[in-house]
Amino acid sequence: MNIERQVNLVRALLALSSIGLAFVFCIMLIALSGKDPGEALFWLFYGGFSPALIPETFIRATPLLFVSLGLAVAFSAKIWNIGAEGQLYIGGVVTATLALHISGAPSPIALPMLILVSGIAGALWALIPAILRAIYGINEVITTLMFNYIAIYFVSYLLNGPLRDPVSLFPETTTISSSLWLPIVVPGTRLHLGVILAFLIMTPIMWFFLKRTALGLKLEILGSGEKTAKYAGIESVRMIIIAMLISGFMAGMAGGVEVLGIQHKMRLEISPPTSPYGYTGIAVALLGYLNPLLIAATSFFLGGIMNGSTTMHRMVGVPVGMAGIIQAFIILFILLGYFLEEKFIHRIIGGLRKVEH
Amino acid sequence: MSIDISGLIFSAISLMTPVLLAGIAELFVERSGILNLGVEGAMLIGAFAAFMGAYYYGDLGFASLIAALSGIAFCTLFAILTVSLALNQMVTGLAMNLLAIGITSYLYRASFGWYVSPIPPHIKETLKPLDLGALSEMSIVGKLIFGHLPHTYFAIILAIFGWWLLSKTDIGLKIRAMGEDPQVADSLGINVNLTRYTLLLAEGAIAGLAGSLLSIGYYNMFLDNMTQGRGYIAIALVILARWNPVLLIAASFLFSMVDALQLRIQALGLTYIPPQLALMLPYLFTIIVLLALGRKVRGPAALARSYKRQR
Repeated sequence: MNIERQVNLVRALLALSSIGLAFVFCIMLIALSGKDPGEALFWLFYGGFSPALIPETFIRATPLLFVSLGLAVAFSAKIWNIGAEGQLYIGGVVTATLALHISGAPSPIALPMLILVSGIAGALWALIPAILRAIYGINEVITTLMFNYIAIYFVSYLLNGPLRDPVSLFPETTTISSSLWLPIVVPGTRLHLGVILAFLIMTPIMWFFLKRTALGLKLEILGSGEKTAKYAGIESVRMIIIAMLISGFMAGMAGGVEVLGIQHKMRLEISPPTSPYGYTGIAVALLGYLNPLLIAATSFFLGGIMNGSTTMHRMVGVPVGMAGIIQAFIILFILLGYFLEEKFIHRIIGGLRKVEH
Repeated sequence: MSIDISGLIFSAISLMTPVLLAGIAELFVERSGILNLGVEGAMLIGAFAAFMGAYYYGDLGFASLIAALSGIAFCTLFAILTVSLALNQMVTGLAMNLLAIGITSYLYRASFGWYVSPIPPHIKETLKPLDLGALSEMSIVGKLIFGHLPHTYFAIILAIFGWWLLSKTDIGLKIRAMGEDPQVADSLGINVNLTRYTLLLAEGAIAGLAGSLLSIGYYNMFLDNMTQGRGYIAIALVILARWNPVLLIAASFLFSMVDALQLRIQALGLTYIPPQLALMLPYLFTIIVLLALGRKVRGPAALARSYKRQR
């Protein structure tokens, strides 16, 4: 076995045991609260992964996938964009507003344009924190977090005020014209074109971008240290801004596609409050080792966990917040995995050296 | 529109307490080279633990104690992951915060039922201001600076003491040295990991206490994610204050003036200022001030860098 395969094997084992350990902790929490963990887990997996519910899992995974593909770009340059949640809200609200204004437009032209605009809106929302970080050296974690609060309060203001559907009881816009809904791909389900866009188009594109282009490589070099990047002649200011713009673009698209494909209007709960897409995407990107193909698989898995925990809540009464706890444990165990991985890989490489001598 | 300025200053002094407490603790930790985003989670855990203590035992002193202890427990976990295992501090902090949100809302529901009623469980008594008798009636100034919670005075004293400790003592020099270059500090015989552990545990206690103010001081109940980014704001204020404890008092006060103004705008129910825009103000203000004053500020050189001790 060559080194790469051994390393990948170790990674896979560590990722699986991270998930396993996260579940063990959650089973303990469920048991502590006096519910039957066996029954709870059955409904968790039934709700997430039973064949009839698979399309719903894909639908849930789609915004997660858009967000985490974008975050993978920023994270591989070690730019910690935590602002995907706000970027998603801005992408969603801009798309819904525009769609309401062009309701008569022919969909083959309008739909691609709307999706593009949602991405641009998200990217623009990421631009200020990007500039603050790249040029002024202000920690992007803090600024992107502040921007999340600002975005959500702003959208909440719009949905309660100027954009509010006057006849609705909830803070939401009017429904957009059905000619601008993303078409359903599998009849009888809600599986829309956005799911295909995420899984079959954006995932390979982002994989190619990160793994096979010079720009992707430059971002990775920047991630290994600004000093290294400087020696390699990489302009870190430009790279940081590019990384943030791409991740904002993808997060904005997550919001736009959710509006056009599922909600058909902008709502305040466009991102589930118990495990918001923007924050859950962080877990997905890390769990997928910033590799778009693994990220697609992870989005599907966590989408299932999110749907399953709603089922678990309905059937057994375990709060939906459990999905959040599972994610937190998964991230922590993955980090531990990184730590162990480094040790294992040193050992593997050390072992091979011995064989050669 | 008339806004009573002295009332505003009074509530700003009161409101700055949690961010100042959390900020001063975070400032020390950052000076030693660790960025603990988990300060947000420690505050939330503190708010929750204090509420539970007060609700079930009815004693606010006991409630404050377990708030501090739970903050310590939370930060101990962070310390193990980032100091001993040298994991990425930002990601660990964020994950710990997700954990704090999940666990508090889960345990809250496990104790009070799965559906949160419109009238959430609440406690009868909240923390009392320090009673200084006649002093607080003396003059306008007396009314402003007396009659706050004991925590407020503790926070200000801690900040001034912190400034002295950091800039005038041997201990402060050692902390600053490891924040610049832990390896050099280590080679000079300073126990980097032990110091960082100590500072992080102290941060846990102080941040837990800061969080308790929300649930048993200003309000008499616990709400999901009730810290609402106050811990992150504390971190932003540390940057604004350029890692100087005395400037941190000023930064916290300035921020809290905006916060107090925001609450006042909401309370007045002005129709031309929507409540969501008022709520946005403190975050917007933080960004604007960071842009104005936080540019090219050089923090501790080793901040947020993982450090593994060479054996």
